[in-house]
Formats: sequence, structure tokens, C-alpha cells
Amino acid sequence: MNAEEWQIVWFTAWVSALSTLVILPFGLAAAWLLARRDWPGKSLVETVVTMPLVMPPVATGLILLKLLGRRGPLGRFFHETLNLDIVFTWRGVLIALGVMSFPLLVLCARIAFDQVNPRFEQIARTLGAGEGRVFFTITLPLAWRGILGGMTLAFARALGEFGATIMVAGNIPGQTSTLSLSIFQHVQLGQDAQAYRLLGVSVALAFLAVWISECLLLRSKWPGRK
Amino acid sequence: MNGFLQSILAAGLVLGGAAARAGSIVVFAAASLTDGLQEIAQTYSRQTGEKVALNFGSSSSLARQILEGAPADIFFSADEAKMDSIQGLIAPQTRTNRLSNSLVIVVAGDSKLVMGSAKDLTQAAVKRIALADPKTVPAGIYARQYLEKLGLWPALESKVVPTDNVRAALAAVESGNVEAGMVYQTDTAISKSVKVAFAVPPDEGPAIVYPMAMLKDAKDPAAARRFLAYLGSAEAERVFEKFGFILIK
Amino acid sequence: MKLLLKNISLPVADFSIEVDVELRSPVTAIFGPSGAGKTSLLDLIAGLRRPASAFIQLDDRVLTDTAVKTRVPPRRREMGYVPQDLALFPHLSVRQNLLYGQKSGSRAAPVFRFEHVCEVLAIQPLAQRRVTDLSGGEKQRVALARALLSSPRLLLLDEPLARLDQALKAKIIPHLRRVRDEFHLPMLYITHDRREVLALCDEVLELRRGRITNRARATATDWPVNNDET
Repeated sequence: MNAEEWQIVWFTAWVSALSTLVILPFGLAAAWLLARRDWPGKSLVETVVTMPLVMPPVATGLILLKLLGRRGPLGRFFHETLNLDIVFTWRGVLIALGVMSFPLLVLCARIAFDQVNPRFEQIARTLGAGEGRVFFTITLPLAWRGILGGMTLAFARALGEFGATIMVAGNIPGQTSTLSLSIFQHVQLGQDAQAYRLLGVSVALAFLAVWISECLLLRSKWPGRK
Repeated sequence: MNGFLQSILAAGLVLGGAAARAGSIVVFAAASLTDGLQEIAQTYSRQTGEKVALNFGSSSSLARQILEGAPADIFFSADEAKMDSIQGLIAPQTRTNRLSNSLVIVVAGDSKLVMGSAKDLTQAAVKRIALADPKTVPAGIYARQYLEKLGLWPALESKVVPTDNVRAALAAVESGNVEAGMVYQTDTAISKSVKVAFAVPPDEGPAIVYPMAMLKDAKDPAAARRFLAYLGSAEAERVFEKFGFILIK
Repeated sequence: MKLLLKNISLPVADFSIEVDVELRSPVTAIFGPSGAGKTSLLDLIAGLRRPASAFIQLDDRVLTDTAVKTRVPPRRREMGYVPQDLALFPHLSVRQNLLYGQKSGSRAAPVFRFEHVCEVLAIQPLAQRRVTDLSGGEKQRVALARALLSSPRLLLLDEPLARLDQALKAKIIPHLRRVRDEFHLPMLYITHDRREVLALCDEVLELRRGRITNRARATATDWPVNNDET
């Protein structure tokens, strides 16, 4: 593996990690609302949150492209007010990865919250804790395994993302080139040896990420679970 | 292979072949030929009753597909290199060069940028330039050759947004997400929302050649030859000229 | 103390809890068979359940008034709740559990001091242990101490001795008496054991299918009216 290939691996890893961190607060909020609250139209929210998981990634990528391009409703704001471009930059990669892995995070976090006995939260309230304190001192610590498992799964999904990324960020060498985009290009160029090397790294990373998330998600530690 | 597997394979080929054989001549053609070829194929079908199936894409991915066994009868490439790469699969003496093209620099229809030459691409206002992938796609390779000849490539390389084919580069300029792009003269004819900022004079630009050939494994060689001949006819040449292609005499 | 439970209507399972009563005794027992709605009533008083209608007032504070949509949230009701399953936080140590309800900073000195409460309930040696390592009796005392350390004005106890054997019960009842006598905290005490009522309580309310069917002094001989409990 040469320096350029390591750069691609490094870029893919850090932008996937960053995207997971960026979606974390939103994912936890969505998961908590879905686990603990009921409201009219809740099933609509559930559906929308899950959609990037089942839609063709290029379709999701197209929607993002239209939203975030310089002429799109969101992209226009960034371009004109902040002089920032999103499409065809690493920021576009970040957003594509985040959107595509969001449903996995919400799914796992919601299951984790569902498994926390609400009785603990209720007693914490009688002891004087406000909702924020209840969440950070009771709910979150009791759900951390499932949440971490969800984060790892989201990270793994981000590592392998292709369809939305190529729509929103293209495959610009040194700027937006991820592992999967590079593998695709090497195959197109008939450079099988390079493709296989990057494929090996991909498989190793994905295996590690999923294995860790399995360990976290399948082991239940606290008694008093429902 | 044992007898059972052979029968399955044969059945598959027959079914697959039957689908393609629904009388169609299958043409793999460079993306830049889209509009011209569509019109020509329509006219041909009306006149002769033969069906023509057109598959457009970057010449590089089409050549790869042909190498992997895709069922093309005719390959119409945007550069010689891609045709060379499938040399072994071409039916002898069917390769001809009839068409050429020229390069232009395009900007969005409402862009304020003004360019007197390719050097103006280096100005700070041009942050990103869309090119068909300069590593693989003919349009991008031609553009890179031209910019290298002018000594501008090192300065511009980091601004390049590589796209899958030349029409995708055009779309990127239309969408406003890049400031400029380099495409073929013929591509601008079909787009309403870009304008030409600078046209590369054909004698200054790289030598662009569109070879076409019939493949050895063509399903119906006679029909394929007939269409190939039609592509070189005066009627077809008029259509190509209408769309802006340059004829090689 | 004065606890007003007026116009209570709380639908549960297959019946509705309808209660209208004023309580003044220091320790009031709520006595009845399982499924009578005792826990739901306690939850309601603690603010953990929403009734169809209710007026709840503790001393001079209105806690719930559905007529004018007043509802003080659980964290401000100043009630110590010891639930039937104890609900000790498994991820925190005993000490962290105990201190969870302590008001910090501005609310200054807690009404019940940490050392005093630990001494009364004999849990000083348990402070650094993990909650999961404790025996049944120890957990009970820790849960009780945790509720006390949040400086409540009313203690709600849901069958606090239900899971203990006779020997343990005999050991813990004196602690409860000390809590009653030293902290002067009014208590609502759910139980279905007549002896506990006699040992600790002043008054007893019989609850059956959501209705109060009888009210008597603990020492009276004319209760329980429905004699299907031990």
C-alpha cells in the first residue's frame, strides 16, 4: 500500500468517525422521543427516519444533491451567506455518510432505551431530578451498551457508503475519495491489484466494526432490565 | 463442464440471445454522441424497419463492459485508445474514423465569468472545474492533454471535479455547483442553460477522433454492417454536422 | 400533616380508582389485596400518573388540580418513594444512590443528615458496595435511606417488608419506628400484613377494587372488614 492509498483509508476512517459523532445527538434525541413519547403522526416520523435504510442510496444522494447544491434551498444559504460549498467537498461526504447511517443509530439506540426500565427514571424524578439529569445520569448510562453498538454499526455503514457519496461529493482524488469510491474507480481502470488491496482493508475494517458492535449489543449487563 | 451445466448455460444464452435478438442491432456509443445517434437511429429504423438499441456511456466503461463480454454489435468510441483496448474483439477491416470534435470551456448560463483563453481558468473566481474523469474518459483525457500542452495542468489539477462521463460534467456546470467545465462543442448544442466561455480552436486542441467498428461476435453481422455503412453515409454525416461534429475527410 | 385526596378518579386495568379522603395521621396504612390499586394510588400521589380527575393537597401546597390544570411535577413534590421493587440504580454505588436525591448548593443543609440517616438504618458499612452485592434486607434499608436523604415531606412506602422473611422483618421494623419517631415524617404505608399495621401505623384504610371500603384506627378490632388476608 502506498501513501496515496493510506491517505484514502485515513480519510475514509476519520470522515466516517466524524459523521457518526455529528449524528449522535440527533440520533439519541430521535431514539429517545420514539422510545418514551407518543404523539399523533409518530409513525410518520418513524417511517421517515428509516427511509435512508431502504431507499436506493443514489436516490437519497440525489435528494441531498438537490438540497445542498449551490442552487438548492440549503446549499444556497451556505454558499451565499457563509461562502461555504458542500457539494463536491468533504462536507458533502460527511453529510452523505451521516444521513445514510442515521437510521441504524436510531434503531439501535431506541432498542437500548426501550430496555431501560422506566421505573428507574420515575424514581429518579421523585428524588428531585429534572428531565435532563434523569437522561444523563439514569437513562443514558443504563443504555450505553446498545448506544455504543449503534454507533459502531453506524460507523461501519459510513465506511462502506457509496451511492449517496458519489452523487453528492463525486470522487475527487485527495479531496473526497473514499475507500469504496476508490475501489470502484480501480475496477473501472482495470487496476485489479490496487482494487484488491483496498478491498482487503475494507473487509478488515468492516469486520472489526461489526464484531465490536455485536459484542456490545448482545451482552446484557444490568439486572432489573425489563 | 458436465452435461447438465452445459444445458443450463446453453438455455441461458439462448434466452439472453433471444432477448437481444429481438431484431435489435446493439450499439455501444460514447455519451457525446447521444443526440446525434438517436436521431440517426430513428431515421434508420423508420426507413429499414430494423431496430437499433443504443447504449451510451463513457467510452472507458463501455470498453470495459465489452471486454467482460457485453453483447455489443458495434462500438463507437470517443478516442482511439479505447478502441485499441478491444482490438482483439473487432471484426477485421470494419474500423473507420469519420468523426471529430472540438473542446470548449463552458460556464453556467447566468455566470458573470469572462474568458479570453484557457489561462483564465486559473483565476481565483474559478474554484472548481468539471471534467469527465481525466484518467479514463476520452473527453477528460483530451482536456487534460490540452491543458498540459499549455502548461496549465499543475495549477488546475486540484480544482478538477472528475465526473463519470462528459454529459455529467455538463450537468455539473448546469447545476451551478462548479464554476466552469470542459466539454465537447457538440454538447453545448443540446444544453440551454450553459454558455460557451471559450472555444478551443480545433487546430490548437488535441486531435479528437471517434473510431467506429463492428465486433467479431455481432449477432447479425450483415445487419450490423448495413448500419455501420449507414453511419458513414452522406445522410448520417449531415445529421452529425448539424449537431456540431467535425467530419474527417 | 394534612393530605387531601379529593375527587380522585384514576382508570386502571378493568376498574377505576375513586377516592375521596382527608388524612391526618402520622402513619396511615393502605391495606388490601393485590390488584386493588394501592400502587397506582401511590404513583398518583407521587405525580407519576395522570388521573382523569384529582385534587391533591399536601399541607398548604396544591399538588394536583385537574379542574385548573395544575400539576406539580414529581421532582418538586418533595415525596420520598420506596417502590415495591426498590429500584436501586444498578449502575451506581450504594453511596451514589443514597446521595442522588440530595439537593445541591443553594438548597443548603438537608433536613436529614447523611450520617444520622445511615446510623438509624445501620447502613454505614455498605456505602462503597455495589447495589447488586447487597442482600434483600440491606437493599430495603438503602432504598429507604435514599428516599429519606432527599428531604421529603411525606414518605410513600409500597410493601417495604413484603420480600423479607419474618426474622428480617422483625429486624427492620424497629428501624422504621425510629424513622417515624426521630424524623417525624408522615408516611403512607402499603401492606397486606396486619402485624405491620399494628406495629407501625396509626390508622388504616382498606382499599378494594379502587374504593376505600373501610377506615379505622390501627388498634381497632373491627378491621379488616374483608377477612381474606393473613
